[in-house]
Amino acid sequence: MQRRHFLLSTLALALGLSLPVAGRADDKPAVIRIGVASVGTGNRPVFGGSSVALANVKGVLEEEFKADGIKVEWNFFKGAGPAVNEAVANKLIDFAWQGDLPSLIGKAGGLKTRLLIADGTRGNAYLAVPADSTAKSIDDLKGRKVALFKGTNAQLVVAKVLDARGGLSERDFKSINMDGATTQAAIATKDIDAGWFGAEVYGLVDRGIARIVYTTKGQSPNLARQTHFLVTEDFEKKYPQITQRVVTALVKQAAWASDDKNREQVLQQWSKSGVPYSAWKLDYDGTPLRVRLSPLFDDYFVQHYRDALALSKKYKLVRGDVDIDTWLEPKYQRQALRDLKLEGYWPDNDAKGTPKK
Amino acid sequence: MQQHRYWLGAGLLALASAGHAAAPSNEELQKQIAALKKAVEALQQQLDQNAQASKAAPAVPAATAVAASDAAGAPATREDLQGVQADLENFKYQVQRDRDTATATSTRALNVGGTIQARAAYSTQNTSTPAATPAGVVNDRNSSFDVPTAILAFTGNLYKDYDEGRNLGYRLSAGASQQTASNNSFLNLLDAYLTYSVLPTIDPATPRLDVAFGQQLLPFGLEVPATEDLKPVILNAQFTTRLGLAQRQIGLIARGDFDPVVDYGYNYRAPLLSYAFGVVNGNGPNTSDNNSAKDWVGRLAFTVPSDYNSWWRQLTVGGSFYRGKANLFVPGSSTLVGTGDRVRYGLDVTYNHEPFGITYEYIQGRDDTPIGTTQANTKVASIKSDSHTATFFYNFGEQFVKGFRAQGRYDDWWPKSYQPFFRYDRFDPNTDKTSDESTVYTAGLNVFFAQTTKFQLNVNYTDDKAKSLSYSDFLAQFQFGF
Repeated sequence: MQRRHFLLSTLALALGLSLPVAGRADDKPAVIRIGVASVGTGNRPVFGGSSVALANVKGVLEEEFKADGIKVEWNFFKGAGPAVNEAVANKLIDFAWQGDLPSLIGKAGGLKTRLLIADGTRGNAYLAVPADSTAKSIDDLKGRKVALFKGTNAQLVVAKVLDARGGLSERDFKSINMDGATTQAAIATKDIDAGWFGAEVYGLVDRGIARIVYTTKGQSPNLARQTHFLVTEDFEKKYPQITQRVVTALVKQAAWASDDKNREQVLQQWSKSGVPYSAWKLDYDGTPLRVRLSPLFDDYFVQHYRDALALSKKYKLVRGDVDIDTWLEPKYQRQALRDLKLEGYWPDNDAKGTPKK
Repeated sequence: MQQHRYWLGAGLLALASAGHAAAPSNEELQKQIAALKKAVEALQQQLDQNAQASKAAPAVPAATAVAASDAAGAPATREDLQGVQADLENFKYQVQRDRDTATATSTRALNVGGTIQARAAYSTQNTSTPAATPAGVVNDRNSSFDVPTAILAFTGNLYKDYDEGRNLGYRLSAGASQQTASNNSFLNLLDAYLTYSVLPTIDPATPRLDVAFGQQLLPFGLEVPATEDLKPVILNAQFTTRLGLAQRQIGLIARGDFDPVVDYGYNYRAPLLSYAFGVVNGNGPNTSDNNSAKDWVGRLAFTVPSDYNSWWRQLTVGGSFYRGKANLFVPGSSTLVGTGDRVRYGLDVTYNHEPFGITYEYIQGRDDTPIGTTQANTKVASIKSDSHTATFFYNFGEQFVKGFRAQGRYDDWWPKSYQPFFRYDRFDPNTDKTSDESTVYTAGLNVFFAQTTKFQLNVNYTDDKAKSLSYSDFLAQFQFGF
């Protein structure tokens, strides 16, 4: 009798639990889940430096799928690229905006993803020290505490920068793994001797907190942080039409943002992330937006990922292998370019990053 | 217009600064007069323009006028600066006032937290308890509302090592808890210990070694060291209380790990070996040792080295021991006959691979037990006990995905999660005796609906062969932390 009580209760519990999770088979998803490997200042759910960021702020995808009743869910991860990988591994997102290194690590480790468009190429990296530091160069910081957000695309750029300086590596410094917000706070309190940053460094410089001692800005396109937009293989196989509509909407947004007559608006929109307008302006100074916001998988983009893979293996950041050519899925961006009549709109660069003639 | 404001501001500043100067030279006075002249001219021009504008167009609304004067490039006047200065003074005053009258401060860094449980329970087995006083009598109870756990905890650091992270920290907690022996008053001291990181903690790729001194949970198996807020099941496994392992003990315990696998691509760290070793009184919390023999506790766990995105992730096998001495008495009296062994061995396996997890613990106990009626005829027998505890759970939701729950959001967002589980818990107090074991089957559901709050629903079926009883309990509980 008592055992029957227990069994009945357990059955009721299991039945009750199964009701809310019983899925429905549909030709369209109820929700499109997007992961972003970035977060705004003070953990605000806004970011900058990409077309996807503009699509988020302007509600482009929400508008695209409004009539279909498909909800768009944005997830901004404080843990950046590694947190995106964690979410992909646990099947919690369908699309992601992410940097090159974490994506490579994920792909090499078995995550089933496809790259759809480039979004935010040729990003700069900055090494900054407290404003009153005596350090004036990378060499001055050997053996000292240097913060770096490991597992993000910054780690790969730093590896390249150091490697190019006589084969230096992270081991030549007291390298500390810190996320962006913590690094900003630590440089202000001088808990670290230096830190690697993106455009947000200019906010610290303007406030007299930090001083830049090295930057990749203006150097070889090979020394760049790259980001892209990807989809999980499961989602792409199940919903190719939805994937196409997402890509088309983003390519359309990239075209608007790449037009330099919209430059001020683009930078202003990005400043909603908390990184000031002046910082974006200085970071993008001298570079047409058409260059950095190109969605194309041109030779430069492809070669960058091949180089990234080789270097990641050299430094044992990646264990497995990745077939770059099959990882990239250009058919959606090609279709978007045809549909939007944007073929030839963006420069088609060679492997060195120079426009082909 | 802006130029006028500039000269006006410059003139006023020149005049103001003259008031602070000790003895201005003729040349300085000439400069000030020139600045004032320009300021007067600027004002005159402004008046003329305003007069013309008022003739040519209707009056400008006040808001527009303010907006125009706020145009980029307009110089700040002394009034503007005074306004900002006043705001800053007000802010400083308010901050200081709040700090003096409405801010909790401490000598060192302090984090205040706590865990509380509020429970409703129904049992098919009535409980009756006789007592010496009317207040202690329980008369055929089959349901009750309870607050079984209410803990207030303080943690912080006493010394922070900025260079290498060899920090000195502390934890103090007090309250009512199932895991304390004496639950007779509201605030019992639970944790009270000091920790020191012997090895650097800055780089996740290096091994760890922490030493804790004071009153703390034992590093034995899986369930014993888990704090109240981490346990999936409402009631503790039987062995934790019946073998005395759930009690906090006072002593020195070192915990560390070796050869960690760090997968930066997922911000995942898993040490190949983790270990703990310590010496404690063995007499429970909030009391001195009751003999000179010290009890020893240790644990060694091996985690399969793997990347995060591997099926081998978080597969751990561990072994634990506890070895000590207990005072022995003539049964039913306080006549001491010596000390006897109190030994525990444990073997555990964990496979916690989101979204599901399986844990299994086997515990074996050996206790020297006196048998006799007088000190002269009392003999010591060794009684062996054992326990098997297995739990299976499945997570619907993102509660346990570390990177996912750390999101940038405007509101008080937290991923809602549902965790159904099943636990098998069997304890045999004397393996040489038949039909004295007790088995508890638990089916349950944890609903995580806010960052530190969960709702727990447990259905227990107990088959107690020693008492020849079988019954069911239904427990519903909110557990919340702050």
